[in-house]
Amino acid sequence: MADSITQRPSALARWCPNSEWVLLAVLALEVVVFSFTGSNFLSVGNAFEITRLAAEIGLLAFGLTLVVKTGGIDLSVGSMMGLSAVVLGAAWSAVGLPIWIAALLVVALGAAGGALNGVLITKLNVPPLIVTLGTFSLYRGIAEAATGGYVSYTGFPSSFLFLGQGYIGGVIPTQFLLFLLVFVLLWLVLHRRVWGREITAIGFNAAGARYAGVRVGRGTLRTYVVCGICAALAGIVYVARIGQAKADAGSGYELLAISAVVLGGTSIAGGRGTLHGTLLGLLCLVVLQNGLRISSQPSEIAGLAAGLILLAAIGLNQLWSRSQLAALVASFKKTNLSSDGEFNMKNSQVALIIGAIIAGAVLIAASNMFLARSLTQQFARGSEALAPGGPAAKRLVLAMTPKARADPYFISVKDGVDAAAEEFGVNILWDGPTDPDPARQNEIIEAWITRGVDVIAASAVSPDAISTVLRKAQERGIKVITWDADALTDARSFFVNQATAQGIGHTLADEGARLANRTGKYAIITASLTDANLNEWIKFIRERMAAEYPQMKLVAVHPSDGLRDKAMTEARNITRAHPDVKVIIAVAAPAVPGAAEGLKQDGRRDVRLTGLSTPNLSREYLKEGWLDSVILWKTVDLGYLTVLAAKGLHDGTLVPGATSIKAGKLGPIAIEGDNILLGQPFIFNKDNIDQFHF
Amino acid sequence: MKLGPREIALLGAIAVLFTLPLIGVSGFYTTGNLRNLIIDNLPILIAAIGMTVVIIAGQIDISIGSQFVVCGVVSGLAAKSGLPMPVVILTTLATGAFFGAVNGLLTARFGIPAIIATLATMVILRNGLIRATKGDWIQNLPSNYQWLGLGQSAAQPVYILLVAGLFGVAAWALRSTAAGRSFYAVGCDHEASRRVGINPNLVIFASFALMGVLAATAALFNFTRYPSIESNAGIGLELKVIAAAVVGGTSITGGRGTLLGTLLGVILMGTIGTVFTFLHVNPAWEKAIQGAVILAAVVSDTFFRKAEARG
Amino acid sequence: MVPLLQLRNISKTYPGVRALRGVEFELRPGEVHVLLGENGAGKSTLIKIATGIHETDAGGELIVAGEAVGIPSPRHMQALGIAAVYQNPTLFSELSVMENLCMSEDGAVISWSARRARSAEMLARIGARLDLDRPVRELRMAEKQLLEIARALSRSARVLILDEPTAALAGTDAEHLLDLVEKLRADGVGILYISHRLEEVLRIGDRFTVLRDGGYIGTYERMDVDRARLIQLMAGRELSQMFPKIEVPIGNVVLETRGLCHGPSGVDKISLEVRQGEILGLAGLVGAGRTEFARTLFGLTPATAGEIFIDSKPVAITCVGDALGHRLAYVPEDRKEHGVIEDLTIAENISLSLLRRLNGEWLDESKENTLAADFVRRLGVKAGNIFVQTRTLSGGNQQKVALARWLANDPRILILDEPTQGIDVGAKAEIHRIMVEFVQQGMAIILISSELSELLGMSDRIAVLRGGRLAGVLPAREATRESVLKLAMDDAA
Repeated sequence: MADSITQRPSALARWCPNSEWVLLAVLALEVVVFSFTGSNFLSVGNAFEITRLAAEIGLLAFGLTLVVKTGGIDLSVGSMMGLSAVVLGAAWSAVGLPIWIAALLVVALGAAGGALNGVLITKLNVPPLIVTLGTFSLYRGIAEAATGGYVSYTGFPSSFLFLGQGYIGGVIPTQFLLFLLVFVLLWLVLHRRVWGREITAIGFNAAGARYAGVRVGRGTLRTYVVCGICAALAGIVYVARIGQAKADAGSGYELLAISAVVLGGTSIAGGRGTLHGTLLGLLCLVVLQNGLRISSQPSEIAGLAAGLILLAAIGLNQLWSRSQLAALVASFKKTNLSSDGEFNMKNSQVALIIGAIIAGAVLIAASNMFLARSLTQQFARGSEALAPGGPAAKRLVLAMTPKARADPYFISVKDGVDAAAEEFGVNILWDGPTDPDPARQNEIIEAWITRGVDVIAASAVSPDAISTVLRKAQERGIKVITWDADALTDARSFFVNQATAQGIGHTLADEGARLANRTGKYAIITASLTDANLNEWIKFIRERMAAEYPQMKLVAVHPSDGLRDKAMTEARNITRAHPDVKVIIAVAAPAVPGAAEGLKQDGRRDVRLTGLSTPNLSREYLKEGWLDSVILWKTVDLGYLTVLAAKGLHDGTLVPGATSIKAGKLGPIAIEGDNILLGQPFIFNKDNIDQFHF
Repeated sequence: MKLGPREIALLGAIAVLFTLPLIGVSGFYTTGNLRNLIIDNLPILIAAIGMTVVIIAGQIDISIGSQFVVCGVVSGLAAKSGLPMPVVILTTLATGAFFGAVNGLLTARFGIPAIIATLATMVILRNGLIRATKGDWIQNLPSNYQWLGLGQSAAQPVYILLVAGLFGVAAWALRSTAAGRSFYAVGCDHEASRRVGINPNLVIFASFALMGVLAATAALFNFTRYPSIESNAGIGLELKVIAAAVVGGTSITGGRGTLLGTLLGVILMGTIGTVFTFLHVNPAWEKAIQGAVILAAVVSDTFFRKAEARG
Repeated sequence: MVPLLQLRNISKTYPGVRALRGVEFELRPGEVHVLLGENGAGKSTLIKIATGIHETDAGGELIVAGEAVGIPSPRHMQALGIAAVYQNPTLFSELSVMENLCMSEDGAVISWSARRARSAEMLARIGARLDLDRPVRELRMAEKQLLEIARALSRSARVLILDEPTAALAGTDAEHLLDLVEKLRADGVGILYISHRLEEVLRIGDRFTVLRDGGYIGTYERMDVDRARLIQLMAGRELSQMFPKIEVPIGNVVLETRGLCHGPSGVDKISLEVRQGEILGLAGLVGAGRTEFARTLFGLTPATAGEIFIDSKPVAITCVGDALGHRLAYVPEDRKEHGVIEDLTIAENISLSLLRRLNGEWLDESKENTLAADFVRRLGVKAGNIFVQTRTLSGGNQQKVALARWLANDPRILILDEPTQGIDVGAKAEIHRIMVEFVQQGMAIILISSELSELLGMSDRIAVLRGGRLAGVLPAREATRESVLKLAMDDAA
């Protein structure tokens, strides 16, 4: 008895109280699968690259683990990243503080933001979900309000950028050290400090903990402070990684971090959970994302798989703890429960292994299915290309990234890309962020660098942010061009220039002024206030208006969040709030049909509408007269030309200094410096719209 | 119906909000504008009815934005395939019911906490939709799709009446039917529910299924306002709707809340942006103000409760 | 007369465990049939089978009013007129009294006016007066209990199962409930009554069925049993002495309160003193402020006025930490919610409040485990291992873990709030033994109990509270049930 009473449970049970080892199995499975499906997946470089991707989400997830273990949640961490980025940029650039002092200030801000959450939750007894739902909006809102959404701070000193872009000893990303440091510190806090035990006790039963003398309020509040600090650190690393500080940093990161935490076995009800579990959960998600990218799968597959793994893991864990509970209830009457308990444990472990295998199988099946499909497509295309009797040369792999995947404008560009790819036998990888998020775009390009592609063609979400990875790609011998939106000039060979921001801005301004007879009020509807490219256009519209049409007065710039619904509401609100507004200029593809529908439903024939969108989305409104014109270049040609330029660059037919390029069915296209000029923006109106179908 | 302190506070806030445009602002109090305000918020209100029921039952559903857009796309595809509108509507509702049932099964049958289960289905549905549509909009819909073929001026009053009816029935059912009260019962206590013969798992399942149907209904009321369907709509809808329900006094821990409160929450949260546009406030402030309103609502609640305890 | 309910040859096997073996039970109209047994004897399982929550194993039979029940379900058994009131009221805390009463009524559409009338009638039947619109979370425990009974009877119940209905009640509340039971019996209701309070069951019981370790011991008429016999039947052995109180030399005053108040919970100017080696009993009705006084003393609800002296020095206790610093300890009433944290291991529970004293801010698991193992042995906690979840222990063993946590703090003043409530006879005696052992070492104990015999048997002095105030202090030797009750109830009485 004396021995058995202090007989410690097995090491496995102690380290993995929530079957965290299952995640290790999933992780191993992922590694095995991706080492087959992806090129260069199994390499030291990629392993460390993954840690770079994991750093920001990881910092959030580590902080969140503490919070979730107390039975709380913090939805505001992504917003805190945005606020941190803005404050960091402003403190350094506008106030002129040394960058590291600014960083310290931001950490203090994170602590304060966390403390606000914590105080509202512990002192006023408001459920964490609600408090942090409020601060989720509040923190992001302050960041946007302070910068008007569009201010973006760049040009940080290289010593600071080293934190996000540099390597220590040539291979270890700098932020990995910070990530590791925070992990170790918080692991010690959670598993070796008295406070960590108290967090567990609070999570299981806060009232009980209070009776035991645990200072529940203080213990809980501090977890939110730590979480806020982690979010601020993540914000700093984010800024250092992409080299710019803007209000949209970290949008949507909170859900990824929460996924990592719960996948890692931390119970959303509190109490259960380990920090190494979170680390494993995080790695499962990040490796999945990285592996699928390297296997040339688009991001939505990673999203699908992540959702399925989350369901499988949590569902199985739940079933497991239920069966454990059943065994427990059954053994309740008997003092000797060891034999039954053990038996049930083993049974459930078997179930978990089976579960892991199923999860893996789903993953493999999913990726295989799509792999097989893309392979057959490529074969089909390849045989077509070979049919005329060309040599069986290695096909060029061109990786193209739009600013946002689901934007109708880029979807129409893709049509041209596909046409050219088929015509010239090029393999296309096409992937972009869901929202115009510079960090995600960089991650996609990083994966392509690891995978190895011949040419990268990018439409830059943010020129400063993307240039670091594009330079890196060039160092690895990958040819780089940009299209649609340029990067810094040293980060690419050519820019396929459909129109300069200036050209677009001026054309829109001219068109707007024309519709208003050069006099009157106008309003602009944009996508989001933080969209760098659109802000550039808006800047040129205002500039041109001020210079050429002094009688034109801008009354409002409203965001539509890239959604048609909101664009419609905004258009109607603007025209009612400013009844004398004469022209609306909508600069985002979905905003044009949204605004047109709004005018149509309100019957506002007195307001003219122009903007930038695709013919397909605009056709009906142009014909009905609710929309006067849309400005766009021939997007299909842009895609077509980009593929050709990439091929030319790769084949050596396009060299620096060239003055023109033979562009297949487009004929010769002029090159000015390193800009391949597609031509001036085109104005579509009701007379010519039926000639265009894209 | 008796008004609680939260409802009175909300009415006060709404009154202030609606007073602001009276001062030197024209165009706000026009039938057209008010009608637009109502029409734009109908889908939010419908979704908020479902969310209120889900939260009262002690659950949460963050997948509704994804359900909403998938249902919209399904309605568009069904209409395009030439089905008559009644069939299109039924198909859409069935789709919503199916997604809701999946969420219900995951939470009620497999015991996955609602926030995790619906986080997963949110991600899966959204990414699945991108996979399926590649981001293309559903265009060239038959003419009987927009406004159900009724035409705008005829359809708008019909829509408002329909939703008013739906709201009325829902508010009545939640308050005065055994089924309605069972959501409250389960949100209070599972064991106690079981003892009075209510199956908590069934009720939770029902709340999600209902949410699915209402998400589909919201999609219909939203997308039939247009001649085409945008395939990435609904992003962030869940947070808007949860915020409206919570500001309206629904307790996130379950068992407490009224649809009247939710209605007031929707009105408050849905009007702020428009009023501020009329006041010519820089739209960059909108998010910060909404966050502040949510915090103010919950913080004021604490003071009310303290006052109540004292008095 | 046809019995209302018959359970024949009931067995129940959970995976690996046999909870019941061949149990027989019969309930006639107009009788109070008491079900007795230590914790874990199988009483709860039997009730769950009778109410259709669990199914009996093959061979068992449920017969209601002479007819065998095919497939029992909670709904079905309710429809047959079998209603149960459980120890912990299972009510809908956010909903009103009226809704709680009517939740299980048939009819898809609710008529609120009809419900109001019906609720009033239901409450009137048991003579309870409650505001129908009040949310249940605002009710007192006794009120909740009444609500439960009213609700159970509303389903035209002919069989009423009462599981420890007086456990959380004291004095008049408990008396009132027993009167109600007698009234219902007179109305012809059959009552299955479970209680650990032997005096109470001997007063109202007509027949007694005893279970032990899932086995059926027998059914006895009232005239065939007395207190000692019942204890012997339940325990399977004679318990030589119920209350092993040993006289211990009483030392100096270690704790004194002067005019201690906590406004919100109604603690009103309580002045008391406790001496070294003394057990001070704290008597009073539910709501008299005993637990509230203890919570104030322990810093959970810091005093709003008044003074606390330890060793005659004034001290400030504004949080639990302060109380711990002055070597106070409090074993709370609600074991599962407050006494232990069920999901933590035994070792973690025992060490939880003194982690910082073991090794500063860092954990020292080996010290923790040594300490825990030591106390598990000293208190005789029946557990295989100190690393098992406390949830897996029986109530008595959980209470010992809670005690161990506070004894490990080496307290000088130990407050025990209903330490033996709902605990079986054997474990109860052991806890009493431990109490004596510790006063012998010079500790002072404040014992809060609703069981008068326990207070009379264990205390040196008995302080009686009434309505948040101190009503009087009696030396235990002179105190009687009557004198304590008289103080606890109205002066006029």
